[in-house]
Amino acid sequence: MLLLSNHAKMIKVIFLYMKKLYQTRKKISFLNMKSVKQHSPLSRLVISSLAFLFFFSLNLSAQGDPANGEKLFKSICAACHKLDAKLVGPALKGVTERRDQAWLIAWIKDSPGMIKSGDKLAIQVFEENNKLPMIANPQLSDQDIIDILEYTKGAPVAAVAAGTTEVDPGVERGKQVFKTNCAACHKLDGKLIGPPLLHIEKKYDAAWLKLWIKDNAALIASGDPLAKTASEYSPIAMTPFPQLTDQDIDDLLKYMAVGDVAPVVAATSADQEIFNKPGIGIIPTLAITIGVLLLLSLIVAATTNRKVGEEDEESGVSVLKTLIFNPFVRFLAVIFFLLLGAWFAFGYLMQIDVNVGYQPIQPIVFSHAVHSGDNKIDCQYCHSSAKNSKTSGIPSANVCMNCHKSISEYKGELFGNNTKEDLDKEIQKLYDAVGWDKTNVKYIEGYEQKPIEWVRIHNLADFAYYNHAQHVTVAGVQCQTCHGPVQEMHDMKQFSPLTMGWCIDCHRTTAVDLTKNGYYKNIHDQLSKKYGVEKVTVAEMGGLECAKCHY
Amino acid sequence: MKNILKISIALAFLFTLSSCWLDKTKPNYQYMPDMYKPVGYETYSVNPNFSDGRTSQQPVEGTIARGKVPYDYADTTEGYDSALVNLKNPLEVNEENLANGKAMFTIYCISCHGAAGVGDGELVKRDKFLGVPNYKDRPITEGSIYHVIMYGRNLMGSHASQLTDKERWQVVMYVQQLRNELLK
Repeated sequence: MLLLSNHAKMIKVIFLYMKKLYQTRKKISFLNMKSVKQHSPLSRLVISSLAFLFFFSLNLSAQGDPANGEKLFKSICAACHKLDAKLVGPALKGVTERRDQAWLIAWIKDSPGMIKSGDKLAIQVFEENNKLPMIANPQLSDQDIIDILEYTKGAPVAAVAAGTTEVDPGVERGKQVFKTNCAACHKLDGKLIGPPLLHIEKKYDAAWLKLWIKDNAALIASGDPLAKTASEYSPIAMTPFPQLTDQDIDDLLKYMAVGDVAPVVAATSADQEIFNKPGIGIIPTLAITIGVLLLLSLIVAATTNRKVGEEDEESGVSVLKTLIFNPFVRFLAVIFFLLLGAWFAFGYLMQIDVNVGYQPIQPIVFSHAVHSGDNKIDCQYCHSSAKNSKTSGIPSANVCMNCHKSISEYKGELFGNNTKEDLDKEIQKLYDAVGWDKTNVKYIEGYEQKPIEWVRIHNLADFAYYNHAQHVTVAGVQCQTCHGPVQEMHDMKQFSPLTMGWCIDCHRTTAVDLTKNGYYKNIHDQLSKKYGVEKVTVAEMGGLECAKCHY
Repeated sequence: MKNILKISIALAFLFTLSSCWLDKTKPNYQYMPDMYKPVGYETYSVNPNFSDGRTSQQPVEGTIARGKVPYDYADTTEGYDSALVNLKNPLEVNEENLANGKAMFTIYCISCHGAAGVGDGELVKRDKFLGVPNYKDRPITEGSIYHVIMYGRNLMGSHASQLTDKERWQVVMYVQQLRNELLK
């Protein structure tokens, strides 16, 4: 119910705001027209030039500096706001799409004053956020606030320029060219193997860039001084791209000049997420409360009934008494309770050290669902020793770094109670272990690497021998047969009991495919003749012999 | 008599409660775990005998593990250029090697390079890893492919720890086959 009402409120608020926005816009244009017409030509000129200046300045100011904005956001706003989650105040990502910029500037500078002055929207916002007043920030200049707003758009640095102007189709093509050719070594807004490429056209001439991209080695060899300084950026030579046409490179440069176009954030999506989150916990809690209440009422009903019974009917009690003192009934009861006790005792003994569902808390929130499910990375990519050895292998951190050199933040769908920041911190834990500097994209020299202490989940008792290679490589058993749907588990847990009965069950039913292996074909034929079956199971090949696993 | 019954019921109830393994983040009970826990040190266990506290150790410098072939090309541009020309595949091109090469490729390379080697793997499609080249766009030889698997190149990391010497050459063989197919 809470969830629904919040939802409805949100929609209503947005609707009201849209309506208001529409009305005010109409009013402004109307006023402007009238005032311009009433004035003399000179003042009209002054007004129009002023208006031009005003719009021009708006246009200029629209190009806020997100880097400065980020700094300010972190030092001033971050105490109460996060970009994509509610903290004390609401999430601020995409706030510029929900509210007018001028209104936001006034609000950030003096929100208490605005509420007092009776601004409807201000009061609404105040009431929406538990009537906690936001601190006034008169020290911030307009430009500062514009910078912060720019940062809240959450887009990469150069997103703004393309905001209103029509996007050149060449930019989109250039992006494709960039992704397939350059992105292995370059990012737009940060160092990778090569330098960042955003606004590279400001640094170098387009004709020179064409020569450089097509064959930088030839350019360096020709003694071009610019090429020489460029080549000193890194000892690694840039790959030449003779296959790119002039058109390709033109598009590429267009893309590099503009950068990524800001993704349009739906006004409500961020808020919806916030309101949806507590909903996950509500249903089970409700169920438990209802269950407890039912139980309580049953107990109350039972006790009151008994009292009523005792007062009303003496005979009922006497029947109960005779039953209790009847030796045969007592004998039956004793037998019943003995059996019940034995059943419980047996059940208890049978589950000792059976760890189905064991789900320890790992040092890093590593999601198998993201790596194996979403990204479809093969299990053996990381557990690479499963094919050749007894253990499946916990990947050493260099295997993680094969991908995480370039993937330093989480951009996928959020899971659990984690925010994006939380998950980025988890990737940072890996970097802390191996000593990776993600801003300069290299290992820190002389860093003392620390092991990541994963908690082992599947612990087979030491008196039983199990070999991964035998099952994975020889038998070709899928990992999921024993480990369950790992590709759906965010937090890894034990799926199978790993008891002897469980092993034997599988050995009894699994047929061995020996037909592809010429060497064993004879044995297979002999055994199938001996047992009179078409396909020999593991058990029939000696898979039940004690010493196969216990020695 | 009634009391005894009541007490036994209460005990049985407590007994069932105690048999519940409630905290799944801790392992279940063990009874006399003497033969459960290994006496020796397990592969990934903590080991007080070594200064860094780990059981799995790096090979001593200057030694070669049994069955391993040392790799003499350096992880530099010169080493790459040298491997490009001089390094040759010791394995015979046959069905078995190609089949295992394909199997290994499907595990270790496909996520980025794609099934056909054109650089359209799942990670590329999902924008996680960009700019993976098409095999046909690069002047690669068996030597350079092996060298890159050993040391990695640019953003590709070394895959030497995940593949054995033989498996690496099998992958090289399969990559060459894919490349020839693409060049047609």
